[in-house]
Amino acid sequence: MSSKLQREIGHDEFDPKGTLALITIYFVIISVLWIFMYFVEFLGNDLTVVGAIA
Amino acid sequence: MKIHTYEKFWLAASMLLIVGFILTITYGTVGIGIAMVDDSADTVDPDNLGDHPKFSDPGVEQVGENEYDVYVRALQFAFIPGDVEVPANSTVTFHVTSSDVIHSYSVVGTNANTMVIPGEVATITVETEEPGEHGIICTEYCGSGHHNMAGKLIIVPEDEFELEEEQ
Repeated sequence: MSSKLQREIGHDEFDPKGTLALITIYFVIISVLWIFMYFVEFLGNDLTVVGAIA
Repeated sequence: MKIHTYEKFWLAASMLLIVGFILTITYGTVGIGIAMVDDSADTVDPDNLGDHPKFSDPGVEQVGENEYDVYVRALQFAFIPGDVEVPANSTVTFHVTSSDVIHSYSVVGTNANTMVIPGEVATITVETEEPGEHGIICTEYCGSGHHNMAGKLIIVPEDEFELEEEQ
């Protein structure tokens, strides 16, 4: 049986650029959603319970 | 241990995200003063609220310049008083307790809401801004009339606000 191996690369040569792009996009989405949820939806939703920590 | 550059990137990114979350919450608490409802308020005897100096005659009272205390009794199936009128641009502290079962005091469409437990006084402070009207509902299922348990928070312009006469 002949090997189907076409090219062998080392640990550092393997660069999953697609995965990197996906994760970067997810990261950006999560960051934007968090900022929107906290600063717009939550803080913009007066009345908000306030008070010094007794 | 050998860690791939990309893996280092997303490890760092997720750490950064967590730090960001914590920073946001810290800013909210320390910077803006957003508080949680806690159990620091005094307890009361739910069977004898009539003897309580405040809850025997619940309502709005002025405690300082632009500072108001609102005492509310929740019971099956109403809030006493049902309609609460407070001036705009003031600091309003609600003290809410129940004389029977667990209720909630939720100002609809806002972040102001609390559970109301018999014997405990739920205390929440809010800053009113614009004049307007908010519904108040009970969001803890408290019995057959739960869906009718509602009140109103009316924020009136400061110059139109008048405290009810003491009796």
